[in-house]
Parts: sequence; C-alpha cells; structure tokens
Amino acid sequence: MIASRPQFRPIPQLTGFLWALALICLTSCDRCQDPGCVGADCNPEATPYLLEIPPFFPPMDIPADNLLTVEGVHLGHLLFWEKSLSEDGSISCGSCHLPEHGFSDPSPYSTGITGAQGIRNAMAIINIGWASSYFWDGRAATLEEQILEPVAHPDEMALPWPQAVARLQANSEAPGYPQLFLEAFGTTTITAELTSKAIAQFLRTLISADSKFDQWRRGETSLSDDEFAGYEIFLREGGDPETTPGGQFGGDCFHCHGEAGLQFSDYLFRNNGLDGSFGADAGRAGVTGMPLDSGRFKTPTLRNITLTAPYMHDGRFITLEEVLDHYNSGGVPSTTIDPFMKYTTGGLALNPVQKTQLLAFLETLTDTSFIAASQFQDPH
Amino acid sequence: MNCKSSKRKNTPLHAVTWVAFTFLLIQGCTQVWWWSNESIPGTLRFDAQLEWNAESTVLGDVTIDHLGHSIRLDNVQMYISEMELRSESGDWAPIGDVALIDFSVLNPRILAPVPAGVYDAVRFGMGLPPEINSDMDPASYANDHPLSVAGSAGMFWTWSSGYVFVKYEGKFAGEAGDPLLEPLSYHCGTDSSYRTVTLEFAEPVYIQSRQLTVYELVFDAAKALVGETDSIDVVTDPVTHNGSGTTLGGRLMNLMDDAWTLRQ
Repeated sequence: MIASRPQFRPIPQLTGFLWALALICLTSCDRCQDPGCVGADCNPEATPYLLEIPPFFPPMDIPADNLLTVEGVHLGHLLFWEKSLSEDGSISCGSCHLPEHGFSDPSPYSTGITGAQGIRNAMAIINIGWASSYFWDGRAATLEEQILEPVAHPDEMALPWPQAVARLQANSEAPGYPQLFLEAFGTTTITAELTSKAIAQFLRTLISADSKFDQWRRGETSLSDDEFAGYEIFLREGGDPETTPGGQFGGDCFHCHGEAGLQFSDYLFRNNGLDGSFGADAGRAGVTGMPLDSGRFKTPTLRNITLTAPYMHDGRFITLEEVLDHYNSGGVPSTTIDPFMKYTTGGLALNPVQKTQLLAFLETLTDTSFIAASQFQDPH
Repeated sequence: MNCKSSKRKNTPLHAVTWVAFTFLLIQGCTQVWWWSNESIPGTLRFDAQLEWNAESTVLGDVTIDHLGHSIRLDNVQMYISEMELRSESGDWAPIGDVALIDFSVLNPRILAPVPAGVYDAVRFGMGLPPEINSDMDPASYANDHPLSVAGSAGMFWTWSSGYVFVKYEGKFAGEAGDPLLEPLSYHCGTDSSYRTVTLEFAEPVYIQSRQLTVYELVFDAAKALVGETDSIDVVTDPVTHNGSGTTLGGRLMNLMDDAWTLRQ
C-alpha cells in the first residue's frame, strides 16, 4: 500500500495572519526604515532639502539626526545672522564670517563684544560640510559641536546658552522663532542643541563650486597660460631633483592642499614652519596633549584664498605674496616642522615668474557667485 | 460537500501565500543564516604592530639606525591590498580589498571575513594594484573607504600619479647629540613600486565559523633602512617623493618587502 501524500491544507484564518506577519517583518527591520527623519528632534512634515553635490566633489556626510530640511536651513540662516545671540545684541556669527571675505574675518583676530580679541584668525566657512574637524586645532569633532562655542565664549559673543535660548524662546516677532523651530524640528521648545543643528544645516549649504577653476574642470572655460602654468607649479614636487629625489622645482602645494575632491585641503594638522617654539599657541597639541602635535594647525582650504586674507592661523601674513615668500624661505626649523617643509635650508626657490604664475592660479579659485549668493546674505 | 471541496482545492492562493511569506521573511530581515554552519565565515584580525629592530615602538620614540643616527618616526602609513590566504590545497583565497594601516591611530587593525578552513600563509600587496591606483577619482568612493578623499587624506598625489603607497616620515639628527631637526620624508608610490609580501604562518591556522582569530602583523621600521643587500643613509638620502618613480623609492619598497612578520 502506498501512502498518499498529505495534502497541504493551511488553516484559512492563518493566511491573513501570515500576510500580516510578513508585513510586520518587512516594516520592522532597520533597512526598511525611512532614513529621512531620525530621533526626537525632527519634524516628519518638514521638506527635505535637496543638497546638490557639485561635480568632482565627494559625497557629504550629514549626521543622521540632523538631515537638511528647507525649514531647518531657513532657520539656520536667520540664526547665523541673529545678533541677539550676542550678549549686547551687537554681533552675530556673520559679523566675523563676512561673505565678501569668503565668510572669514579680514582682521587677524576677531573682536568680541567686550573688545577682547582671540589669538587666532576666524576660519573661512567654505564647503565646511566636507571638513573632518573644526577650529584651527580641530577641537570640535562635529559642526554642531563647533557652533556651540562662539556664542558662549566670553571673548566672542559672551552670551550663556540658557540666556540665548530664553531670548529666542521669547521672540514673538512674526513668525517668531518658536514657530520656526516647530516647522524645522517639530517642537516650539528651543534648546542650544536645536539652535546649533539649525545653523549647521545652513552652513552645510555654503558650497563654493563655481570658481574659474571649477568651470575649467567642467570644460566650460579655459585657463590663461599663466594660470595653467601656475596650476602645474601647484602640482609639482618642490626641490631640485639633483638634491631632492623626485624634486620638480615645483610649488609642492598639492600635498596639503590636494585637489582630490576639489576641496584644496586635506584637513590634516601640520606645522608649516612659522615658529621655532610654541609657547604662545601650541596648536593641535593643546587638544591632544601630544608633543608631536606642537605647532600643528589645520590645513585651510585654498578656495577663495584671494578673499580670505590675512593668512595663517594667527593672520600674520597680510598678502598672498608674503605667504609664498614664507614657503620660498623654507620656514623656521623646529622639532615638529612638517616634512613637507623639507627645504629648511633653502625653501622652494620659486622665481618671480613662477610666483606670479602660482598667484594667477590661486586667483582662479575665487568664486564670486558664492560670496554674492543672496541666500547666504544677512536676512534681517 | 461541493462547497467544502471547492475550498480545499483553492491551493494556488495558499501556495502563493506560503511562498510569498517565506520570501518576505527572508527579504525582511537583515541577517538570516539559512546555510550550513560550515559555510559561515570566521573572522581573521590582523593587529598591526610597529617595531624597531624587533623591539616594540611608537611614533615619537627616538631610535638609532644602523649607521648610528638618531631617528624619530612621526608618521608611518601604508596601503595594504589584495590580501589572500593560502589554503591547504595551495589555492589562494581573497579575503580583503584595500586597507590603510596608520600607526598614528590607536590599535590599527585589519578585519577580514574568512571561510572556515585551514590556511598556512597570507600574502598582500604593499601599495595598490595599477587598476585602482591611478586614473581613479577618490571622490568616487564613500567617505569611509580608505581610498576616498577623506580616507586617503595625505595619501593621494594626483589623478595621474595616484596614491602614496607608503609614507615614512620623521626627523633625524645629522650628528650625534644634535637636536632632531632634519626632516625625513619618504613617500613611495606609482605602479612600479607595488610589491607583494608573502608570509607563512608558523603553524597552519584553523579558521572556525563565527570565531575570531587574531594575529599580529608586525612592521619593523628599522628594516626599511637596511637589509641583506641594500641600506639607506638618511643623511645623504633624506627625501623621496617618487610620484614619478625614483630609484630611492623603489629601494625603500624592496627593503620594506622584508620588514614584515606574523606573530600570534
């Protein structure tokens, strides 16, 4: 006798249950979650901000708990220029990060509301969404963290955050900050963290990608002979090949201000030979405590470099010619001078023509549409 | 009776339901292990160790080279690629793509999923193979990839010359007792500098499913300057940035080829 194969007979009520279970299984797994709104500080009804990544740029890493929204960027724009975030209502973030100067300060040291000055030049805010750390010494790991400091710093805006939050919370001038925070983050309860998040969203939209160099890379224009010669100097190894293996009599700029990703900074920390000792400002060592980091500061971007004078972390050089002279000199020897400043006995030895050509190339990194963009200007 | 029969014969719908359920169950979960235990990989971890003449060292230590010069290494980084393990049958199994070993970070290591089995050797490329070295745009990689703009910070020359394979930087003293002020700067790269390192395990390694196996991958930085057939004097040859390929860079890569050991 051959046993008949049992017939598959699911319980009818089970069918619906299985469909429901499968649906739950699908929707409950993390890869199926909507990544557009994470954490409590988010308004699911806010409009996603479509950030356009320019050609040749790398992707921008945006924190999952602070994705850009139209409402958040708008709020951040207002807050960046909000003078009530300073103790006496006289300055805003934008007061020391002026658009016409590449969102930097033309003074070597910014002046706070008390008249006190810091010890470092205000860094340019250009393509800051691609930076890997913040401040000259990299003491802030995130943009959101960085923004919290200047408001409360006694030598800058000098307004403790509880007071700053109270001012924003009490703002009733239409539409009023509580309403704007509601639209951006889904709450009318303002906090320092939400304020920082909004400003960070705005700063991530400050993208400079339409300089003459960008246009040339996109094939939209051509460089002059001097500009192209300067670009080649920029890309060539420094040094005499007779004494420096691999030397190409170049400017050696690309090592630290690399063109990969078109950011013109590696965002690393280097001692470029400004000083022989570091008692006045230890730089990165003040953060890490490591002697090897003494005198090291973050490599700034070269984008809009013609607009962001003065130069170096302390603004000691007024002109780009002075900067080139410094690198031509080889800098001041020290125990932590960067190996790229290896020409401590003679410098790059660029001749006047080469320097002129290099400056012509640096000029091509100026993006006038960026500094003039209406969406970045003071809205108040 | 007829009514009951018709319900029981409604098998296509039920079959579709079960098939769909099974499919959704599989698709909906991030990790499902349906295959046999033997096919589940184990994990092999290589902890990179920096040594100087077989003694453990860290960046910033002052050491003495084979010619008596005081040397302080400040930065040692290198790309490792095409990592493979040799099985008992003699076949090489790829286990890794590209990794950047940076001795300035805490506990640099390479993690690789490895099929369960017995292996007796590992080999890897020091540097990057030509197909991914040049004419590749770092901006095309996700930011957490070692070849991305952020991941390769300081390790990329240009689109034409490609990546720096090995960076070996520091300071040295020209004369005994002098302060360490002279820059030492070796940057090796270009396709012709790519080297393959093969290391045999002291004993065959059994990688078990779901198990972590740890080995130390030791780089003896002193051997970058002296070997059986060549040596380099940092005073006369303190710099090479061989984006265009130089003799000194090639010599350094040859010496570093023998600077690796495995230790459990």
